Amino acid sequence: MLDFVYGLPFLVLELPRLKLKRPSWVTVPSPMTVFAFILLSYFLVTGGIIYDVIVEPPSVGSTTDEHGHSRPVAFMAYRVNGQYIMEGLASSFMFALGGIGFIVLDQTHSPSTPKLNRILLIIIGFACIIISAIACYAFMKIKLPGYLMS
Amino acid sequence: MAKMSTSILSYRTRGWLRMSVEKQDTLLKMAVLSLAAILSFSCRLFSVLRFESVIHEFDPYFNYRTTKFLAEEGFYSFHNWFDDRAWYPLGRIIGGTIYPGLMVTSASIYHILNWLHITIDVRNVCVFLAPFFSSLTTIVTYHLAKELKSPGAGLVAAVMIAIVPGYISRSVAGSYDNEGIAIFCMLLTYYMWIKAVKTGTLFWSTMAALAYFYMVSSWGGYVFLINIIPLHVLILMITGRFSHRVYVAYSTLYVIGTILSMQISFVGFQPVSTSEHMGAFGVFGLCQIHAFVDYVRSRLNKAQFEVLFRAVISTVAATGVLVLVMLTAMGKIAPWTGRFYSLLDPSYAKNNIPIIASVSEHQPTAWSSFYFDLQMLTFMFPVGLYFCFSNLTDENIFIILYGVLSIYFAGVMVRLMLVLAPVMCILSGIAVSSMLSTYMKQIDEVKTEKKKTKFEGNYFMRSEIATFFVCVMSVFLVMYTLHCTWVTSEAYSSPSIVLSARGHDGSRIIFDDFREAYYWLRHNTPQDAKVMSWWDYGYQITAMANRTILVDNNTWNNTHISRVGQAMASTEDKAYEIMQELDVDYVLVIFGGLTGYSSDDINKFLWMVRIGGSTEKGTHIKEHDYYTPAGEFRVDKEGSPTLLNCLMYKMCYYRFGQVYTEGGKPPGYDRVRNVEIGNKDFELDVLEEAYTTEHWIVRIYKVKDLPNRGA
Repeated sequence: MLDFVYGLPFLVLELPRLKLKRPSWVTVPSPMTVFAFILLSYFLVTGGIIYDVIVEPPSVGSTTDEHGHSRPVAFMAYRVNGQYIMEGLASSFMFALGGIGFIVLDQTHSPSTPKLNRILLIIIGFACIIISAIACYAFMKIKLPGYLMS
Repeated sequence: MAKMSTSILSYRTRGWLRMSVEKQDTLLKMAVLSLAAILSFSCRLFSVLRFESVIHEFDPYFNYRTTKFLAEEGFYSFHNWFDDRAWYPLGRIIGGTIYPGLMVTSASIYHILNWLHITIDVRNVCVFLAPFFSSLTTIVTYHLAKELKSPGAGLVAAVMIAIVPGYISRSVAGSYDNEGIAIFCMLLTYYMWIKAVKTGTLFWSTMAALAYFYMVSSWGGYVFLINIIPLHVLILMITGRFSHRVYVAYSTLYVIGTILSMQISFVGFQPVSTSEHMGAFGVFGLCQIHAFVDYVRSRLNKAQFEVLFRAVISTVAATGVLVLVMLTAMGKIAPWTGRFYSLLDPSYAKNNIPIIASVSEHQPTAWSSFYFDLQMLTFMFPVGLYFCFSNLTDENIFIILYGVLSIYFAGVMVRLMLVLAPVMCILSGIAVSSMLSTYMKQIDEVKTEKKKTKFEGNYFMRSEIATFFVCVMSVFLVMYTLHCTWVTSEAYSSPSIVLSARGHDGSRIIFDDFREAYYWLRHNTPQDAKVMSWWDYGYQITAMANRTILVDNNTWNNTHISRVGQAMASTEDKAYEIMQELDVDYVLVIFGGLTGYSSDDINKFLWMVRIGGSTEKGTHIKEHDYYTPAGEFRVDKEGSPTLLNCLMYKMCYYRFGQVYTEGGKPPGYDRVRNVEIGNKDFELDVLEEAYTTEHWIVRIYKVKDLPNRGA
């Protein structure tokens, strides 16, 4: 009976002679690929890309010094809720770098990596972590001159 | 862990405090959790210690007023309350337009304490409710992270969330707002949901539904939950992890949770008629289909199953899409509303709805807000995600989803940083705990001879590196603590209703002008006087001055607010017509020119112009009329004449032209705009000055009556 119901549309329609296959390169991505995408989007969002699109700040600010020349200003000072485009991307790069430093350090525990690789990975990991922490502290201090001073 | 217990087992009988390992473990956990809970309560008390136990900001005053009403009149009067003292002449149905969870919680605590004869005033219950709930949040975060990873991760997450500035900013003592309890409810619902997914029992699913009901009653952000949980189920289906546990958990949660959520009057029938809830409904249907398909597949042989499967899928998919499209087109299903739609398309609010765009909390987030509110957590968040991706389980997928979505939403709106803070703490807790456990094991050198495997030579200074890492991590955590305490003390502990500044000799000057003005209104105006002010101050006026107002922070009626905006932006005679139409007796403005208080009405004036010009009756109000020909907004002689003669300007600067504000500057020098004002010596025709506070921050004017005929 089901065959009859199934055959009804084909009394009117004609089947095209096609052979469609799902392309072989379409697969469910591996977890680490998804993680890489998420890290990229984290870099963009914490860099304030949505703020940039809506408020449209300049890429770097400018002030005029005592001789009348206009000098670039990297960080929008005294405001925690405003930024220029470059400073946002630089800071979020530091965030991502810090995260990558810790991830690199986590890769140094397997017993089968050669000694030289292990030493290099450890140095890179610690360097990333320490540089990004100091950089973010310095950026914040430039942005808010009274940062961590009561 | 094994090495530690072998070394401790040897001390078992003469142990530290003569306790077994398990008891030491429990004692350590309880000690850390109690300290974290006490810490989270105490670090929110800065403003109470510096000023007094007073309710902060604007919205909390409305919540306080409704809580007082509930505590005095009882639940049924509260539920059926129609407030005629706000939004004159329209009124507001309070019972049906608020989330009652916060008020009911406070009123219950108040009644319980008073029944125990601990007589605490309603105001103090309200002020200290948020810190109390933050302690509870600390404990729930511990349990949630424990389910996701391990007790160690739970402890780190609990300690981090106790002091994270992103959460403190909305839950400090005195900030009596929905978010104070909503974060606790949200994490409780997530914890119950994770338990339900892990065990698949009806008990945990029902507890999750009850926690969801508490969440719906407390905050409008419950929409986030009712979308993230179905999304989690959907991803589990896509990755092939759908099982009978997930089926039981989600079906129970959806059915019981939706029915319970419709008991809140404000929510009403939205769960079955708005697009924001349709995702949950769709996933519910999909769950049933998926489970049915799995059942049928186990019964039929392969060929028959294929035929049936294809037929059913095609018909169901086609009819489902058709029905949804038809219902949306016919208007039976409401499309995404303004506030939530602006999360998907951030430029929508800026272009179409100026009221949503004007609220400073709704602006997109800059990088410094992320670092300011989270500091070290911004580094550890990707690491936590990495650890979750390394061993994917059903619950890790949930926390990954929550993390990614909340990062995006926090980037769109600064206010939603609050939703991001808990997941940042949980993921950072997972990261810190995993890394520290790995490295702590490496600190002790293994000195036994038989351990010489062929890979031993590959390690380099293992214990020194491990010690160094532990030191670096400790320094990070200490810097985090210092940062959080500094931020809480400097940025998030100001009551906003009382301001303070340092004089030249270093002494502290307190500006209590707001309360001074509201109490003047309360004692010196007739009971049925109507006060017109900009919507920011509405809640405070109704709560403290107890007078009828035209517009308040609820901002539900854009046309009415626009009418007030037109009155403020027009000349005195035009404004007088509007004020007569609305029966206004008094007008209140905030002016910061004498003190340098920069959040005054002149700085907000352009928003009044934009909102005033956005409706039909206000089309004659154009924003560019209020700028100079060069396109600047100025109040000095160069300023646009429309601006210099509008009602707001006159009310703010009346008699200001004779006042000397700063040494070396002419009279009438505005200390916020840093210019001398343009229009100085004018008289008011339709208003007379009723009261100006000590530092000229609040100015109240009485609207003159119509002149007698023949005069």
